[in-house]
Amino acid sequence: MEENTTFDLLTGLALLTPLASFLLCLIISERYSWLVTITAPVLLLTSASISIYLFFTIPANTSYLIQLAWFHVGQYTFNGNVELNRLSILMMPLIAVISFLVHLYSVGYMAGDNGIRRYFAMLGFFTFSMLGIVLSDNLLMIFVFWELVGFTSYMLIGHWLEKPAAAKAAQKAFLFNRIGDAGFLVGLMIVWANTQNFDLSNLLHLPEIYSWQTAASLCIFCGVIGKSAQLPLFTWLPDAMEGPTPVSALIHAATMVAAGVFLLARVFPLFTPEALHTVAITGILTALVASLCALNQFDIKKILAYSTISQLGLMVTAVGVGSENAAMLQLVTHAFFKACLFLGAGSIIHSLHFAQQQACLSGRQVHEDFDVQDIRNLGGLRKKLPVTFFTFLIAGASLAGIPLFSGFISKDSIITGVWYWSSNTFSWRWLILISVFAVSLITVLYTFRMVWFIFFAKESRSNLSIVEAPWIMRIPLIVLALASVWFLVSLNPFSASGWFTTGVGDLQHSNLVTLLSSGVVLLALLATWFMYATENKFINSITFLQNSFGLDLLYEKVFGQSVIKLAAVAETTDRKWIDGFLHFTAYTQVSFAHVIAWFDTYVIDGSVNAMAWISGVVGSLTRSFQGGKIQLYIFWALVGLIIFLFFVLI
Amino acid sequence: MSQHLLSSLIFTPVAAALLSLFIPNNSKKTFRVLTLVISAIQLILLIFIVHETRGGSFSSFLLTEKVNWFSIDLGTWGILQAEYFVGMDGLSFSTVTLTVLIMLIAGISSWTIDKNVKGYFILLWILNGAIVGTFVALDFLLFYLFFEFMLLPMYFLIGIWGGPKREYASIKFLLYTLFGSILILIVLIALYISVQNPEVQDQIVHTFNILHMTDPSNYIPGSILDPEQGWMIGSHNSRWWAFLLVFVGFAIKLPAVPFHTWLPDAHVEAPTPISVILAALFLKVGAYGLLRIAYPIFPDVATTLSWFVALVGVISILYGALNALASKDLKRLIAYSSVSHMGFVLLGLASVTTEGVSGAVYQMFSHGIISAILFLIAGVLYDRTQDRMIKNYSGLSSKMPVYFTIVLIGFFASLGLPGFSGFIAEIMILLGAFRSFTANGLIHESFAIIATLGLILGAAYYLWTLQRMFFGPFQVKSEIKPDQLVDLDKREYSMFLPLILLVLLFGIFPQILLDYTNPFAQHFTESLLQAARSIQNP
Repeated sequence: MEENTTFDLLTGLALLTPLASFLLCLIISERYSWLVTITAPVLLLTSASISIYLFFTIPANTSYLIQLAWFHVGQYTFNGNVELNRLSILMMPLIAVISFLVHLYSVGYMAGDNGIRRYFAMLGFFTFSMLGIVLSDNLLMIFVFWELVGFTSYMLIGHWLEKPAAAKAAQKAFLFNRIGDAGFLVGLMIVWANTQNFDLSNLLHLPEIYSWQTAASLCIFCGVIGKSAQLPLFTWLPDAMEGPTPVSALIHAATMVAAGVFLLARVFPLFTPEALHTVAITGILTALVASLCALNQFDIKKILAYSTISQLGLMVTAVGVGSENAAMLQLVTHAFFKACLFLGAGSIIHSLHFAQQQACLSGRQVHEDFDVQDIRNLGGLRKKLPVTFFTFLIAGASLAGIPLFSGFISKDSIITGVWYWSSNTFSWRWLILISVFAVSLITVLYTFRMVWFIFFAKESRSNLSIVEAPWIMRIPLIVLALASVWFLVSLNPFSASGWFTTGVGDLQHSNLVTLLSSGVVLLALLATWFMYATENKFINSITFLQNSFGLDLLYEKVFGQSVIKLAAVAETTDRKWIDGFLHFTAYTQVSFAHVIAWFDTYVIDGSVNAMAWISGVVGSLTRSFQGGKIQLYIFWALVGLIIFLFFVLI
Repeated sequence: MSQHLLSSLIFTPVAAALLSLFIPNNSKKTFRVLTLVISAIQLILLIFIVHETRGGSFSSFLLTEKVNWFSIDLGTWGILQAEYFVGMDGLSFSTVTLTVLIMLIAGISSWTIDKNVKGYFILLWILNGAIVGTFVALDFLLFYLFFEFMLLPMYFLIGIWGGPKREYASIKFLLYTLFGSILILIVLIALYISVQNPEVQDQIVHTFNILHMTDPSNYIPGSILDPEQGWMIGSHNSRWWAFLLVFVGFAIKLPAVPFHTWLPDAHVEAPTPISVILAALFLKVGAYGLLRIAYPIFPDVATTLSWFVALVGVISILYGALNALASKDLKRLIAYSSVSHMGFVLLGLASVTTEGVSGAVYQMFSHGIISAILFLIAGVLYDRTQDRMIKNYSGLSSKMPVYFTIVLIGFFASLGLPGFSGFIAEIMILLGAFRSFTANGLIHESFAIIATLGLILGAAYYLWTLQRMFFGPFQVKSEIKPDQLVDLDKREYSMFLPLILLVLLFGIFPQILLDYTNPFAQHFTESLLQAARSIQNP
């Protein structure tokens, strides 16, 4: 570890300029809200430039550590160290550049929006938190920024406050992330109980493999399942498409969801072989399920969302088979081409909405109210939206893994990694290898299905005057498309070698695999042509697959409803049983008091009254002798005399 | 001057209460200004306290005042003696600071009270003095006195100025907490006759001094709570029963499930400033009692029963969260979330690890501020429409944007988002609770794991409320008129702003408070485990 103050300063600047953008957006008043469309992109450009400079300046395989203590409890210190290592230097420009391009794009896409300050504030805060994740050297700090990223995702998905579906989607995203984070937290607890230290510079260099590492790494993987939308917690990502499209591009394609894969690569030394097997299986299952779902969607953004889940699954699988470098390469290429695809989709949506508006204004039929995101409503747009068409095609080709594009190289390295991992003897590992090939095939299918429907199919809305989006939206598209061609990644279009890949680390290569995967891609292209370019026999989708294999229904009915029922049980217990018991004791006490009162009135007071009554009776009895009748006095005197004589004479 | 800082802090509001009996009844403005003046004086005293205690050791008691209160010669039964003994350590410092701050906010919030303003503020000031006194008293009788003195003003404050069901709520609150006080009284008397004052050598003088009670060597041989004697009542010894009684007494205040049912009713019916004081301060007295009295005086039983305390804590976390999820009334939801968060305090306390106990004290402070924000949020709505039912509102974010921002901050702070103080507290508690098994073997790791479910449920009920009440198109139901829903005015904003800044400050720079609570937590943990060991193996 070395130290260098220039790098410290520059890193700090790159990290804090997006935060400054966030704060500025909060301070700027409503009257000057147009200012944020200038300040935010400018500040992000600064951050992006610094990150690119650091990428080219810091020599490979060196790392710089900036020590900062956050707080201490007793004899333990929680640090907030920043580390510039191979991974963080790779991720920094990726995040900053794509964020800057999305900022630029949003200036056009979100023009006229009421909450534009809140939007750019949250974009800036997101970038800051994401940079925090990749720069932190401390697991606790990663967790802090991890949760903050989830918060900004919530705010951005639900950006259009009046849209109930958006609020629901935002809530679902945060909740599913929280469930994963609870697992992450348990992982943190296990690490703490055994090492009392969260610094990765210590944790990644443990002297031996401990038994607790499997549990800890699997729990940390739970966080990844939530954040990177793996099975079974992926259903929040398709719903998150309710947010603005630039948000989907930045957060739910390029960066936030990739944070999980980054974390896996970052703490890779902590994983034991058993944990890695679980990771691989989860990854490939996700990739398969999601790609099948993508093939059955009709909404552009949902296709892209499922595609993202599928690609993330591939990346996770790569980590699981031990090729974390291949996973990182795929992360980088995926960020660029997926962002390009999403921004392209946004451009299509924007252009069509605009055309719909124009049709309304010019007094033509108001029936032009179709869903612009449904690919069946689009068609033949390649002539009307040429820039969008070309960039979409390039990015799509990269996604499909067609040779001469960046996606091919990265996917190739993953397949090679799985190939070597599955070895020559037949085992369950071969299933994973076959599945990886299957996923590549299906990827081509759904990508070109989408491209066909949007750009090549018969035009259904020829009466609308559809024009390209403004230049500020086209420039990011072009930049990202250029980044999806092979020369960003390596100089040789068929194998991973060259300036960029040295930043990723060692990658395996096999000519056989390259040939095989190219063959699979070709096969898939032919299949797609056959299925869609010829008569549309394969238009209809399978509903089961369209709804994420029924998982959504399962979660809602089984988990959602049972928790709500449990809550109702808790409420009844509180009201009827606990409070009821209290009321019972209160009533018992009051009834007992009434009994005592009765006792007091009738028994105690009664005996007092009885005494008085007896004395009254006795009094009346003795009073009766003083009747006032002379005959009575003579009578009683005679009786007394007789008794007296009786006693004297006897 | 520095000798009497703590007493001044206690008696300033009480003196103001007595003097204001002479102020005519109908000058509302005088009382409103006077409450701000009293809070200002308390803040200045607090600054003096911070200055005086700088560099002192917060694991021991600073700024102590000890004066003989009364001493009665009972002949053959010895001498009945009580002292006025107050002092401040790391724990008291955080709770006293919280009290001063919350009383200021409650004072500003009390400006909405209209009827019987004089009576209201006099009761409020007596409450103020009593709460500060509870937190600094080190003589058990004095502590008990202040403890009881909190109940009566609260009873009237809820019962006269509260909502529709206020009589029910206030009597329930009073009798329930009074029952708890009786249990504490029994243990108080038992301790009194068992403990002798070590400063007097030639004769046995009983003492109420809490510090003397924590030292096992001060017990009179053969007394009922003597650790070496082992008086058995039923199947357990007398100390076991004493701990249980005092635990239940304070658990009622905490409130721990199943002794919590007074809380929802009291909170829902109390006026907003009183709800703030109830949630932010009252509940902390319960936790404070456990930390100051129950655990240090009975370390042997406390360590044996730590699993039980942790169990009660985890049940409170989950049960409170589930009930919050089922609540239809906004204020009831927030009340149950308070139950849930205080469960975390119990969990941290039961772990008896430095980070667990420090986290518990931090959670007391953090939850105090956050629950003040939350109840003020409920109050904003209630002041305008007298309707707190969640289903009657929708899309409030477009009508009241500033209010929406505050609600966002309040809810996310409460569910433990990093950057706010609640996260620091909860992470320390969970780490401590998990490590406790390997460190001191008191509670099993599963308690901490199950407690994380509480975090998920917290996100669920808060986000669901946000979605129902604030997102979507604007719509109100029942008797509410849209014109009633005006955004925050300056007075309300002035209450929220400092609280939010504090929550952010203690979330980003936790060391400020930890410098005070860390020495206390460390000392507490070490001495507790040591004392437990020495009693159990004489």
